[in-house]
Order: sequence, then C-alpha cells, then structure tokens
Amino acid sequence: MVKIIKIAGESLNPLYGDGDFVLVTKIPFILKRIKSGDIVVFNNSSYGTMIKRVDKYDKNNGELWVSGTHPDSVDSLEIGPVFTEDLLGKVVLHIRKPG
Amino acid sequence: MIYQVIDKLDNIVQFDSAKAHCDIPCGIYDPITAQIAALTVVRMMDLMKNLEENAPDTGIEFNNSMSRYVAVKEEHAEKAKHEIRVIWGDYIKEQHLEGFPELNGLVHKIMQLGSKCRQTANREHGLQFVDAINQFAEIFWKTKNVAVKKAIAPYAPALEVVYPDL
Repeated sequence: MVKIIKIAGESLNPLYGDGDFVLVTKIPFILKRIKSGDIVVFNNSSYGTMIKRVDKYDKNNGELWVSGTHPDSVDSLEIGPVFTEDLLGKVVLHIRKPG
Repeated sequence: MIYQVIDKLDNIVQFDSAKAHCDIPCGIYDPITAQIAALTVVRMMDLMKNLEENAPDTGIEFNNSMSRYVAVKEEHAEKAKHEIRVIWGDYIKEQHLEGFPELNGLVHKIMQLGSKCRQTANREHGLQFVDAINQFAEIFWKTKNVAVKKAIAPYAPALEVVYPDL
C-alpha cells in the first residue's frame, strides 16, 4: 500500500534528483484522482520501475502519458502510454538528498 | 536528518529503485555528424565530376575510383539521414515542435534530399542537402538556447556550416 522508493537517474531533474527517496502509495487514487503534474512510479517492460511526471491522464482508456522534466528524458513518445494497472503509486512525500 | 535515517535503512533493507531515465548516452545529441556527412556527399559528387573530366576512360582504375566515390556518397547520404532521424525521434519533443512548427516538414525534406543525393550525382541536390541540415542544426541549437555562428568549413568542399557559438 505504501512503499519507499529510491530514485536513480536525472530525468526529473531539477525537481527530483538521483539518490532522493520518495514515498509512493495507491491510496490517493481513491481519495483523489490522478491529474497532470502528479509524479508517479510504474513498471515498464523495457526499463523496469520508472518514475515520471504525468502529462495527461486519459481515464476512459486508463492511460497516462508521462515525461521527465529534463529535456533529454525518455517519455511516452518513446515508451508509449502507461496503463493504470502498471502503476505502483503516486508520490506523496519527497525526501531530497542533502547537498 | 530524515534522509540520513532512510538512507541507513536503505543500506539494510535495500528499497526498490525507480529509474528517472534519460536516453543513453544522456543528452549527447549533435547534428555535426549529419552536417559532416552531408559535406562528404558534396565532396564525393565533386570528385566524381573531376574524375570524369580528367580521366575520361572506362579502364579498371577509373571504375575502381568511381565505384569508391559512389559507395562513399551512398554511405554518407544515408548516415546523414540516420543522424537526423535519431535527433528528431529521440531528442525532439512536443514543446520543440510547438516552438518550431516547420521542423517536421524540414526533416521530411532532408529525408527526400538525402535520397536524391543517393539516386543522382547532381551537385545542386547535395547543396540543398547541406543547406537543409544546416537549418536543422540551427533549430536544434536554438532548442538548447545555444547561439550559432555560420562559417566556411576549413576543408573541401568548403561550404558554409552552422556551428554552435560556444
């Protein structure tokens, strides 16, 4: 229900950096729907567990379009939409790496 | 303080990690490879013409040289197309297309010109190929807020090239 995840990589830089921790949970999906701008963690068959920002949520088809904030980040143009069943959760707490 | 506690916990229980993934190698895109390949195409066209004018025979040496020029022209026209496709496909994002709505049309034009350069030995096609890729390079650097300068390449065929003004 609640997981701590460590971030690897810089595609969400400068908002989230390599080595930061985030707390993710599926509970907000029930309390509050996913919306653009949310940061989500999901499974991808090619890249494994990924963390990205939601650009668009198509609730009719259960698809999210995601991207990083870094200009060179891999995004949904490359990996396709994320399906809601692949979501591990939405970030509810960000613990930034000091320094 | 909270970070240090969780980091110590991570050393013990090994939390899962999520990739905030960038393309690999991260951020290394540069149209100069395509620009040099396009210059090579024009250079090969020039060498082909020069060979025809100065060694107008059909002997084995002529055929050998002409075949080599054609092969390199083919290879570099395709290489330039490939490099542009990679930047367009992997680096260019929706916001870039919004900022430069002519970009998709320009990439299509480059693909077409690259094919013409393979199909013919017409120098005019080669010059248009170089020019279109220079336009692409200019837009590419603008998306990175890098100023550009134009300079004549210091080698044959000595055509104007768009460079980042670093």
